[in-house]
Amino acid sequence: MKSSQSLSKEWIALTGNPNTGKTAIFNLLTGLNQKVSNYPGITVERKVGEIHLPNKKNIQILDLPGSYSLTPKSYDEQLVSEEILSWVNSDEKPSLILSIVDVSNLTRNLYFTSQLLDLGIPVIVVLNMMDQIQGNNLPISPDQLKKNLSAAAVIPISALKKKGIDKLKDNILYQLENPNISEQEDLPFEMTGIHRSAIRPLFLFFKDKMDFPPRLAWGQALRVSCRKGGLNISELDIYNDKTLDKEKWKELTEIHYQVQQNLKDKSVDLLALEPQLRYRWIAGIVNKTEETEVAELRYETRSERVDRVITHKVAGPFIFIGILYLIFQSVFSWSVLPMDWVNSIVEQFGNWVRLILPPHLIRDLIVEGVIGGVGAVLVFIPQIIFLVFFLVILEDSGYMARTAFMLDRIMIKLGLHGKSILPLMTGYACAIPGIMATRTIDSWKERLVTMLILPLMSCSARLPVYALMIGAFVPSAKVFGIFDAQGMMLVVMYFLGTVTALFLAVLFSRWIKIEGNSTFIMEMPPYRVPLFRSVFRQVYLRVKQFVNDAGKIILVVSVILWALASFPKTDGTQDIKSSYAGKIGKTIEPVIRPLGFDWKIGISLLTSFAAREVMVSTLATIYNVEADDDLIKLTDRLKKDINLETKEPTYSLLTGISIMVFFVFAAQCMATFAVVRRETNTWKWPFFMIFYMTGLAYIMSFIVYQGGIYFGMG
Amino acid sequence: MNINHLHSGEFAVITGFTEDINTDSRLLEMGLLPGSVIRMIKQAPFGGPIELKIKDYYLSLRVEDSAKIIVKKKT
Repeated sequence: MKSSQSLSKEWIALTGNPNTGKTAIFNLLTGLNQKVSNYPGITVERKVGEIHLPNKKNIQILDLPGSYSLTPKSYDEQLVSEEILSWVNSDEKPSLILSIVDVSNLTRNLYFTSQLLDLGIPVIVVLNMMDQIQGNNLPISPDQLKKNLSAAAVIPISALKKKGIDKLKDNILYQLENPNISEQEDLPFEMTGIHRSAIRPLFLFFKDKMDFPPRLAWGQALRVSCRKGGLNISELDIYNDKTLDKEKWKELTEIHYQVQQNLKDKSVDLLALEPQLRYRWIAGIVNKTEETEVAELRYETRSERVDRVITHKVAGPFIFIGILYLIFQSVFSWSVLPMDWVNSIVEQFGNWVRLILPPHLIRDLIVEGVIGGVGAVLVFIPQIIFLVFFLVILEDSGYMARTAFMLDRIMIKLGLHGKSILPLMTGYACAIPGIMATRTIDSWKERLVTMLILPLMSCSARLPVYALMIGAFVPSAKVFGIFDAQGMMLVVMYFLGTVTALFLAVLFSRWIKIEGNSTFIMEMPPYRVPLFRSVFRQVYLRVKQFVNDAGKIILVVSVILWALASFPKTDGTQDIKSSYAGKIGKTIEPVIRPLGFDWKIGISLLTSFAAREVMVSTLATIYNVEADDDLIKLTDRLKKDINLETKEPTYSLLTGISIMVFFVFAAQCMATFAVVRRETNTWKWPFFMIFYMTGLAYIMSFIVYQGGIYFGMG
Repeated sequence: MNINHLHSGEFAVITGFTEDINTDSRLLEMGLLPGSVIRMIKQAPFGGPIELKIKDYYLSLRVEDSAKIIVKKKT
């Protein structure tokens, strides 16, 4: 986490359990002052924003992923633990920690907060979701809570109603100006003499060898004692920085082993020690008794009642299928009209530019290469908006957790995990955020398998290719009287990718030998109406990303390609085949001929390695250079392309299908593999993916094309 | 008996864990401690995870994991 986004001298940190409204608070605090986009993980792992304080100064705030404990269970939690423990004895530490707490789930939320309080950094406990509890019916007043926790402050707010944000900002400023570092020497809760003397060797190690302040040394001694078996790898990563060389690490593991033996001899339940002590302390603070506990348990929340239908054994899966159907319906049919609007805007803009610029090479480049190429991709904005909108709604409302719950058993059979569903569905929009989202899967093997198959989920960059081929070659007719043939073909392509992905998951999980147990421990968050501003924001960021990528990559590729296709200009004749592009295309043609592709498709395959959607703009550029009349649509050009030798159309429905099948499988997005490299920490897996995907693309297209010809479809 | 033996709506007190409980303490950190009371909600479709209420919130666990939590039914 260290390498990316650097922070200024003074900054604060935002932490908390998942589902506490942390992101909403981050957005409210920073407003439009975010220095970086929060598109998860493309360029930044750290989300940094800036808060305007009441004294007109700004302070940077670092947003950490949600976490339940300093003892990590998944990769994203490990990043949080590493970050937090790196603050100890470091110059780069926050002046203040905001610990976000869901007030309707106080006890469990305070567990992580109690670990943060050990750090010796002032903590403001932010009680969010005050709107959820009736009549300010807190079990304890904020003032009392502040005193009992010895927190810097306790501030009740409601991110939903935007209440208390100014007060929080005031308090942040106050704490920064009056730093109040608690000098507590010990943990705030009672530990029996037996426990204390048993873990004392670890305490001494942390205090003396690692210079931890005493309370943190006790806290960490307690934390690492609480497991069966030795310190594990993730623990090693946490402490394994410059303060802990190999020898010290060896010493620590030895002490740890002895402490555990010692505790076991006293028949202490190792696993339960830290949670028991902390929860007992918290129960005392929030006035919990067994009676109040049972009363809380008896209470049926609205979400529980809603779930009687939504996660019902029979109805639940059908509702899920219905929602999937709705999403695909929106992407494939509702977006047709707005797509036409975008298309006509782009066309008119191109014509306008053509009118105002003098006829010149540069005009051709701008109109044919840039506007044509970028426009061919901008058309897909409506579909991306619909797709991302639905995915965000499903996630923010809490429904995705229900799908993980309902489908976990099926996912296990496929070698995946219930929590693979969110990443896989995100993959329909883009593989990169999908791969980032696998960080929440708590078993490495299942996480790896999810990443390996994820790029087969047809992402939005493939849509332009599918749409072009379908528009050109699939007739708009009815199949079985009800289904539109064009729509059906699109669904078939999505289906092909998804089903192959799931099939390969089974294969890969049998084949990859990684030990380690897989668990599924998931909080079922309450249903919440998604915040409009949060949904809007995420859709906006995704579209911005898409337009930026399309803009930059297509601009560069189009310009290069236009040059390659236009030169050398041999004695006035405009034969594109003798251009540089033509020569390159002709060179690779023999390899792709068996798939039904000619040199033009070959060139587009080459450029599509920059990004899949570039394929469309490449074809547009080639045809625009070839024929100087510009008002013919690309789909018509493909249809009317005549092979000069055979006098027959160059492309057919079969070619179109073969091209689409190739794009379903082909490994064409280099950014995806760069992210997989970073997430798996080795080139082995990205290379494996490129290899299997390319092989699959070639073989499947080959089967489709040659099979089609055999059955007389050519 | 373990958690999986509970019917929908039944309350139970956690009394302990089987020896082969996973090596991490996340279940306990989520509040599933000896002495805690839970209410069984339901099992997911296809023999999937179970859902229970603990403290103020709802938690789901795979049956393989929940089988390791020993409970006593509360009447």
